[in-house]
Amino acid sequence: MKKRVVIIGGFHKAKSLAVSLLEQGYAVTVINENREHCEILAEIPHLAVYNGDGTEPFILEDASIQNAEIAIAMTKSDADNLVACELCKKKFGVKKTVTLIGDPAKTEFFYKMGIDSVVCEITTITGIIEQQAFLDEISTLVPIGDGRIKISQVPIPQDAPVVDERLMDISLPKNVLIGCIMRGDTGMIPRGDSVIRAGDVLVLISSDEHETAAHRALLGK
Amino acid sequence: MAKKDTFTVVVGCGRLGAHIAQTLLGSGGGVLVIDETRDSFRKLGATFDGILLCGDATDTATLDEAGIGSASALIAVTGDDNINIMVAQMAKALYNVPRVIARLYNPERSIINEKLGIGTISPVLLSTKEIESALNIDEVPV
Repeated sequence: MKKRVVIIGGFHKAKSLAVSLLEQGYAVTVINENREHCEILAEIPHLAVYNGDGTEPFILEDASIQNAEIAIAMTKSDADNLVACELCKKKFGVKKTVTLIGDPAKTEFFYKMGIDSVVCEITTITGIIEQQAFLDEISTLVPIGDGRIKISQVPIPQDAPVVDERLMDISLPKNVLIGCIMRGDTGMIPRGDSVIRAGDVLVLISSDEHETAAHRALLGK
Repeated sequence: MAKKDTFTVVVGCGRLGAHIAQTLLGSGGGVLVIDETRDSFRKLGATFDGILLCGDATDTATLDEAGIGSASALIAVTGDDNINIMVAQMAKALYNVPRVIARLYNPERSIINEKLGIGTISPVLLSTKEIESALNIDEVPV
């Protein structure tokens, strides 16, 4: 049995998400209030389309929401998204609910109301833009274990002391691992004899106390 | 009857919101009315001396400004069920308001408020009940 995903509301975003999920092998249903939008969505092969308000229990029932594994709310209204997700969860027993949210201040409240995943458009997009804009600086990607372990990306400039050195010849502090070297479009898992080049971006896994020392060893500052 | 020390926040100044606000104020309680459009407050009449707040009640900044933390009750009666649900749930979950009531045109949505201690008023259910009992009175002579 294919996993079933129901997308409530949204048009452009819903369309692109639906296509992507169908490609990944999910059974996808969209619910949309706008009739014209529904007609356009219905042209996508294998996509099931229901016209109606996804915060109405009978519409959700029509779309057999109770058989869905995941419900994703993408309407423009935070209130509609909240109610759609809560109905899916509390009335129809959908296991996982995901919602878009416009007002970042409500993220915590949505989690408190039992929504499994809350995606804030504004913070996500500004986060990506920030990352892109400051790509030449060290950025922490993921803190793990209450922030004691950090995965960071370190771009290697031309004047770094490690340029053209083999990994085995670089003295890195303990508890630091170069997990990946990203060069152009490709990433590679390094070995001891891998050579670091200017322009590489290293993905560093380190304990937080050794992170700065590692950066110093790699960048000389 | 509202007691003197009550403070009720009414969200949505439609016909029902305005009427509730006037009634509560008339019985001596403190009342604050929130609505997005200033024009809606005209329904309250010139003599209304409760507090008026023009703003979006789904915004925590507006609720903070309303002093929701000290409210004894919140009544969500905008024209949008989902807004009423969200404001009611925010009042309960974020501000711990003791009495929270939401008006829902669609009573089927009330299930999601049940475990949170939010009261639901549904005009459909109330009218049905009234009409039913009116019909019964006609049929059964006392």
